[in-house]
Order: sequence, then structure tokens, then C-alpha cells
Amino acid sequence: MKKLLKHISPLAPDDSGACSVLYELGGIVVICDAGGCAGNVCGFDEPRWFVKKSALFSAGLRDMDAILGRDDRLVSKLAKTTEQISGKFTAVVGTPVPAVIATDYKALKKMAEKKTGIPCITVETTGTHLYDRGEEAAYLALFKEFAKEKKAVKKGKVGVIGATPLNTGLSKADIIAENLKKKYGDVVCFGMDSGLDEIINVSECEKIIVISNSGIAAAEYLKEKFGTEYEFDFPCIPEETLEKAVNLSGKKVLIIHQQIAANVLREKINGCKVDCATWFGLDKSIANENDVHIKNEEDLADIADNYDVIIGDISFKKIVPRFKGEFVDFPHFAVSGRTAK
Amino acid sequence: MSEAFYITAGELAARGADNIPEELVSSKHLIYSSPATLDFNSPGAKGFGVKRAGLAIPGSVMLLVAPACCGRNTALLNELGYSERFFYLLLDDTDIVTGRHLTKIPKAVKELCGELDYTPSAVMICITCVDALLGTDMERVCRKCEEATGVPTVPAYMYALTREKRLPPMAAVRKSVYSLLKPQKRISNECNILGHFAPLFDNCELYDILKSAGIKKVRELSRCKTFEEYEQLSRANFNIVINAEARYAAQDMEKQLGIPFIELARLYRLDKIQNQYRLLGQAIGAETDDSKYYEETQKTIESFKNKYGSLTLAIGECVNADSFELALAMVEYGHGVSEIYGTVGERNFVFVKRLAEISPETRIFSNLSPTMLNYERKTEIDAVIGVDALYYHSGIKGVEFNDEKQPFGYQAVKLLFKRLSKELEK
Repeated sequence: MKKLLKHISPLAPDDSGACSVLYELGGIVVICDAGGCAGNVCGFDEPRWFVKKSALFSAGLRDMDAILGRDDRLVSKLAKTTEQISGKFTAVVGTPVPAVIATDYKALKKMAEKKTGIPCITVETTGTHLYDRGEEAAYLALFKEFAKEKKAVKKGKVGVIGATPLNTGLSKADIIAENLKKKYGDVVCFGMDSGLDEIINVSECEKIIVISNSGIAAAEYLKEKFGTEYEFDFPCIPEETLEKAVNLSGKKVLIIHQQIAANVLREKINGCKVDCATWFGLDKSIANENDVHIKNEEDLADIADNYDVIIGDISFKKIVPRFKGEFVDFPHFAVSGRTAK
Repeated sequence: MSEAFYITAGELAARGADNIPEELVSSKHLIYSSPATLDFNSPGAKGFGVKRAGLAIPGSVMLLVAPACCGRNTALLNELGYSERFFYLLLDDTDIVTGRHLTKIPKAVKELCGELDYTPSAVMICITCVDALLGTDMERVCRKCEEATGVPTVPAYMYALTREKRLPPMAAVRKSVYSLLKPQKRISNECNILGHFAPLFDNCELYDILKSAGIKKVRELSRCKTFEEYEQLSRANFNIVINAEARYAAQDMEKQLGIPFIELARLYRLDKIQNQYRLLGQAIGAETDDSKYYEETQKTIESFKNKYGSLTLAIGECVNADSFELALAMVEYGHGVSEIYGTVGERNFVFVKRLAEISPETRIFSNLSPTMLNYERKTEIDAVIGVDALYYHSGIKGVEFNDEKQPFGYQAVKLLFKRLSKELEK
């Protein structure tokens, strides 16, 4: 069956992606759930939870809140929290519960802003999509809400979109910044070791570096609004993976990851025929002819038959029992929850 | 920015159980995901949440029917050897609005049963908030699955939305895991212990006390290795319920199988433990002699006090105890309790009232309050008990005391002091 997972656990969902983007920005973030979704985010998908404090809360919805659509109660709770915890903005992240009851996020935003007096952004995630969709929506909402003013461009300053643990396995920006500083002067990773001010001042960047598909829409928006150019990179491929990949020769290779990471690794491999595949968003404008979107486990098992080497998260190995070639591990936190070494 | 909210035991007792401050009432504020919250606010999360608990029936498998977000953290259980027993039917946007996924479940169960190289003893269908809102009749869907596969199929309700209802998820799953038992001839000298998804420690005196009372066989679900062993649970003459969350399951077993039950509580005050064993003896019509265990435990408590003096403790709720009852015990044993991180309710307010008499300045915090994000230690603390207490006080010696194996009775008290001694010696 198309939607039956028999070998792996579900991949990181869109609400986790949204929270991952918002985590370090100094807002009061509410996951609009009963408790389970917040548990998944804080207890699994957010490796920063026990090392970096963040005002990320569950709405604590109960059945009658959902059945009666008691948004006013949620807004009251949110307002009460803004009196107790300092926050530069509030954010409401969707889950299956508001999706089922068709919560009006625009109304929620207006009600929250009126009651708290600070900006509110809403991210209409449903828990049914994958993390990159949630990240994309969160980046867009942030830049649209806060990056309003065109500032003087600072020469050599670049901004990175897509630096989240789910994309990189990293909880700190140092590796990404160090690698990019070899080419650029000042590097800021939006939402990782940086706060809301950098979002507000995004137009100071000379260039945007997009390291995940989830950043493309925001980069396009910034290009249109401020004329900031962007390019793709993934400056945090694990050394072990890179070393094994670049030593391959004369093989048919399949790289499975988020599209930008896979594309960047492909560029580093010589003398092989390399295709990329992803469970997440596949942007055709940056895909090669044979690159594919993986729809389900059976799909991957069939695709794998055509290759000598697979480079991807090791947890996928269980899906491809017929595959007798070499499997090179390329960890992806959004798949297996493994952090980078 | 507010400080972390607290109220002293004296103030709380004076307000009364009907006037608990809003910061201690989870429905009145947003929920902070402290370690304790992660343990119990999310019914599928850590330890034995609904997902893992649902697999307590030996040889069973689980199909989680939900959006991807509900099953994401199940990967944590893979490390515990559950990866071959979990399967997922993912729901999309249309499914969660129309409920069309319900017709796919029997097909999915058939497909996974067909691919396994063994026939599972049961398939647990785990459903979440989506189906709670859709009002899904999962019993009916399970019957369809059984017709399609011949394998018993049972619902497990991971309804976080109903956590404070009469039948919260962890009580419902306890009913589910005993629901496959069939009536059979009951044996007078056999009994079950109901309550947790891991057994009591082997050296718990409850086993010996039951044996001395003529009980030849004591069964626990978590000690059943095969489905055949599981089926023997319905031979019991009576059930002993040691966790209130199993009360509903016990009531159901009484109704379906004719097995009556007795409730015992996990307590840390010696006189209460002693009294409870006396009442147990009366209930089963036997003399129970627990004097040996009582004296041993009393010696342990005294020698700890002699060695370390009167300690000031902080006690959390991510612990194998009711944090308020444990705090009360510690104060009665001559120690101080400066802080408790716990959930106050009707069930444990009696302990708060007693605590107010003998330790009125004890500060009570709620792990769920957003203000706990601002928590800073403001009192003197020598040692802490509980995963959450250790989280708030990482530099202070302490014990998690949150094992999967369950401490109970005198054995629990002795184990706690033994563990504390070991930590304080470091």
C-alpha cells in the first residue's frame, strides 16, 4: 500500500520543520495541539531542547476546545504567557487538530495581536506533510512579517537559509559559518545561533546561501523584494560520507537526502553516473533528468535495483533488501533523528 | 519576566482543593515541555506511552493509523527492540477531514500480516486525536480487520485530547491489553498484579507475603513471554491493582471474567505500608506477617539519617512515587523538602494538607507551567529525587528513581535510600 510504512518510522513532519525554524528567534511559539505533537518536537525532533532554552509550548487543547473551536481560550492563554515570559513575537504552529476543525489562522493572528500587542505569525502546518514544507512556510512567514525595510548592503555578508537541525544534524552554526567564511566575510545562519534582528536586517546581506529546498521560496521572495541574489550550497557534508563518496569511481550512484544536500554532494563525485532522490520536495528547476521523488518504501526498493552504490541515511537500508551494492551512510536528522558527529 | 510560579504547601492547603491556583491547573495555561511533561503529557512519548504499552501482549504488532507527526518519535523505541513490531498507515489531508482512511485499515492489516514470517498473536490499531475528533468507531474497524486476517485486532486510543477525561489514554490502553483474555476456570491460589508494563522488582516482599498467604502463582502481564502465558492471566482468583490507571482494566476484567480486585497504593510511609498489608490480609482471608520487612526498612531509614543527617531535598514527579506522598514520608523521616515539582489534584491533596501541617514552607511548582522556563534555584537543596528534579538541579547529587521495573512497598523505600546513599558517597 502506498502509505504503509513497514520498515522505517515516519519522517519529520511539517510542524517539526516550522518549530525548527522558529526555535531560536526569541518568540513565544505555541504548537496548536493536545500535547502529543509538542512531545514529538521537544522530545525528538528538536535536539536543542535540552541545551538551548526556547519558549516553545503546547496549547494543551482538550476535546471540547477543538469541538467548540474555542480559539479565544488559546489567545487568552497566549496573552497570559506573554505577561510571564518576554517574547518579541508570538507564533502559532498548526497540527492535525486545527486542520480537522478548519481553524481560521488569519482570525487567530488578528485576535492574538490585538490581545498581546506584539506581532503574531501563524504557520498552517497539518502534521500530514514533511518537515521541509513546514520550514518553507515558517521562513516565508518570518521574512514577510519582519523584513520590511531595505537596509544598506554590507559587503561580504551572507545569510544562510535552511540551517536547521533537521536539515543538517547540527545544533550550532559554527561548522557552516567556518566553511562559508573561507569564501565570504560575515556569515549569519538565520535561526541558528542568531535571533530575530538578523531576520529584520536580512537586506544587509550581499547574498543568500540556500542549503535546503525549504529555503528556496524565501530566497525567491527576498530576491524580489530586496534584489538579493542567492545560490545553493551545503557546507556541512559529514567528512566520513564525503571521503567515501569522492573515492567512488565508475559506479552508478544514487544519493538520497534533501535535494540541495544531494546535489552538492553529486558535484563532488567524479567518474560516476550520479542521480539524486529525495523523499522531500524536488524542485525540477535544479534537478537532473534522472533525479526522482521517492513516493513510498516500495518505490525506493524498485529504484535501488538500478544502482551500484546508495549514499543515504543508513536507516533506508531496511527498505532495500534486494540491493546488494555498497551503502554509504549520509545521516539525515529528519529521517533517523541522528545528530552530526 | 516572571519567576517560576510556586505556592507553599501551607498556602495551598489553606486555599483548599477547590481553589487551586491557575498556574497549577494544566487546562488554564500553555504547557511547558519539561522532562516530566514529555513523559506524560504526550501519551505516546517516553517510557511506556500508549504505543509501547499497546505492545504488552506477547507476539503482538501495532499499526499506527495517524498523520506522520504522531508516529515520529516511535523511532526512540527502535533502540529497545521494537522496530519489527511497529507499522504505520500515514494519513493525508483528505483522510483527516473525510475519514476515508478507515476503509484502508483492513487492507493494510492484511498486507502487513501477509508479509510477516509469523502470525502475530494480535494486531493493535493505534489511533490518535484525528479519530477522536472524527468519532471513529474503531471497534467496528477492528472487527473488519479480524474478518480479513483471522488475527485478533484491538484498538489502542492515543487520544491526547482526552487526557483529563474519565478514561484517559493510559487507562484505556490498560483495558485494551487485557481485552483478549477469555473466561476460564479460576484457580483459588493464583492471582495477578495489575498496574504497570514492567514487573515489580524480584525482591519485592509482596511476592513473599502472597506466598505466605497461600498464593502459589502470581502473574504479571510484563512477565508473560508467550501468548499462552498471557492467556493464563484469566485463571486468577483475584487481581491486585497497584496503579490507579489500571482500575478500569480491573473493573472490566471483573465484569468480563468474574475476577474481583483489590487496590493497593505505592506508599513510602512505613506505617501506611504496614496498614495496607494488614488490610490485604483481611481482604484475602489470610494472616500476613510483614514485621521482618518493616524492621529492616526502619533500620535502613535510621542508618541513613545517622550517616547523612537531616537532608534538604527537592522531589520531582518523574519518579516511581507520588511526589507529594514521598515528600511527606521524607519529612516524617526527619528530612526537609524545600521544593516539589508535581501535579496537584483531588487524588493527592490529602498529602498536601498533611504536608502543610509539618512542612508548610515546602514550595510546590508545576512542571507544566510556562513560568518554569524561568526557574532558578532559590532554596538550599542537598539532594534531589526524580528525573525532572535532576534536570532543574544538574549540579546537585540525586537519583532519578524512575526505573522501568517497579519498586513497591518496603522494598521501594529500601531501594530509594540505598540509591541515595550510593549517590551521596560519590
